[in-house]
Amino acid sequence: MKKKAIGQSGWLWTALASVVAFIYFFPVLFIILTAFRSRSDTLATPPKWIFSPTFENFYHIFFRSMANSTEYVATGFHVYFFNSIYISGMSVLLALLIGTLAAYGFSRHPLRGNDTYLFIILTTRMLPPIIVIVPIFLIFRITGLAGTYTGIILMYTAFNLPFSIWMMKSFFDELNTEIEDASRMDGASERSVFFGVCIPQVKAGLAATSVFALILTWNEFLFSLLLTNKLTRTMPPAMARTIGGEINVDYGLLAAMICLFIIPIFLITYLLQNQLLRGVTFGTIKK
Amino acid sequence: MSTIELQNLTKAFGDLIAVNNVSLKVHENEVLCLLGPSGCGKTTTLRMVAGLEVATSGDIFIANKNVNNLDTRDRNLAMAFQFYALYPSLTVAENLANPLHAENLSDDEVKRKIFEVADILQLRDIVNRKPHQLAEGEKQRVAVGRAIIRDPECFLFDEPLSRLDVQLREQMRGQIKEVLSDLKKATVIVTHDQLEALTMATKIAVMRDGLIEQVSSPHDIFAKPNNTFVAGFIGTPQMNILDCNINEINSSIIKLNVLNQEVEIDFKNPLSVNKNDNYFIGIRPRSFDLVENTAPDNFSGKIDLIENMGSEILVHIKINEFTFRSVQSRSYKLNIGDTINLKPKQGQVHLFNSDGKVIRNE
Repeated sequence: MKKKAIGQSGWLWTALASVVAFIYFFPVLFIILTAFRSRSDTLATPPKWIFSPTFENFYHIFFRSMANSTEYVATGFHVYFFNSIYISGMSVLLALLIGTLAAYGFSRHPLRGNDTYLFIILTTRMLPPIIVIVPIFLIFRITGLAGTYTGIILMYTAFNLPFSIWMMKSFFDELNTEIEDASRMDGASERSVFFGVCIPQVKAGLAATSVFALILTWNEFLFSLLLTNKLTRTMPPAMARTIGGEINVDYGLLAAMICLFIIPIFLITYLLQNQLLRGVTFGTIKK
Repeated sequence: MSTIELQNLTKAFGDLIAVNNVSLKVHENEVLCLLGPSGCGKTTTLRMVAGLEVATSGDIFIANKNVNNLDTRDRNLAMAFQFYALYPSLTVAENLANPLHAENLSDDEVKRKIFEVADILQLRDIVNRKPHQLAEGEKQRVAVGRAIIRDPECFLFDEPLSRLDVQLREQMRGQIKEVLSDLKKATVIVTHDQLEALTMATKIAVMRDGLIEQVSSPHDIFAKPNNTFVAGFIGTPQMNILDCNINEINSSIIKLNVLNQEVEIDFKNPLSVNKNDNYFIGIRPRSFDLVENTAPDNFSGKIDLIENMGSEILVHIKINEFTFRSVQSRSYKLNIGDTINLKPKQGQVHLFNSDGKVIRNE
């Protein structure tokens, strides 16, 4: 296909694309605007588009009056924020590490019944997590993992592994194995074939897999709700808890939390976007 | 001594036997071409020599040393791959230098070797480029360069020219042959291109379905095929292989019934054949002389089709519903529908028994 230069598709298509993009972006925009509205502006119908922005919602994330008192107290929200980053980061790293090694094994040293194992690995993602939550909850209680970082990190790692294995395997499958053979001929050990030849070639795949796994983990609600405690809680259940107050839902506060919540994911995706594009389109164009 | 020897080498992938009891010996300064159609087991054989594939049974000796249990990197071989296998992120010079890492040479020594190889293969101008900036022919030369930069025991080439266009292929064939003859090592080249094998090899092993069909010099493979497979596989246009029975045997002169026509052929020496048995006769399209008159030792038939081959033409001749082909000079001005007489050249007619094995008496 002939590639057209940017801007050559004509203003009509560009306008259409802008409209579609705006429709997609609108909910996010609305949330961002809500985060800067005062309480009365938030509840105004029809919605107020012109308003004087305020940071009070953001301030309330960290300090607000609890129950019926008027005294502002620290909410400890920074802990949840840290927990989210720490727990998702660790579990994605672990899943990527184990998943990449496993995927390389599945791709390069297939077992008898290789596809069956891969299928079995995938079946763990076929049922909704809520079905397994009772046994997992019991296991966590008996082993003492409930409420610990180790517990929830392990849980998320297991949760991310099938996805990482499948995705990384497809990247390894795409590589030209001759290059690996060539480096064996050149005197490389199996370890340096893996680290020196294969890994550098699947960097884009690692980026894509880690971003997808990170998004899944970052937004996960159910396990975190049931398997963490006050100290290890992540953002999604923490945000949910602010909804169920005696007073009405504070939409402005929630919107401000969401704004903070999407920043890390947004940054990481933005930083990795070049790799990501190459990663998700990998294999669609033959070398 | 740079030698490669295979003894009863077998490789099975599950039920499929890719390489079946192959025994071969490649001497020093000898270039062996493993030639055969796709899937005949030639690449698998090469990969077993390299240690990239583990043999199911049999022995491999390199320089008279059994290497069955040695890893690839300990076999001291160099190999050029079909898809060149250049490291995409490294420059040409770094690609060339890669095999030298294991030898712990000084930087100056490495540089000297890179330029030495770059000079031999005319890569001097492109040593700082990356593989994606190279043309096919240049990539191919880098791949060869990477194989010859070290001083390994033996060389292995896997379809080295298959990705080049015809012109470049011809040029590279000569260049590789020259490089190999200077190196004086045992070399194995895998190819499905007979021209490549006939021009580059000192010895050709024709493979089919995991078996070696014949090992001979390039000339003998062409002139003295052992069976109908080798006869049909080597040479373009393909050899005419026709059913025949023997009508009469008179010492070396045998009267055959071919295509419902009786033809008398002088085989120079008496052959051990039986009257009335079924045989195959093989005559290359270039082994016919055009003659004026019908005679007992002629084929005579009508021209059915004429294919242009440049200075020559390929004539399809129809005799009693069967066709065979002959290459003739364009100067004869032949036309479709003409009846012509063709006399097989003496000594260029092959007789095979009903199993396809050649019958010869020398």
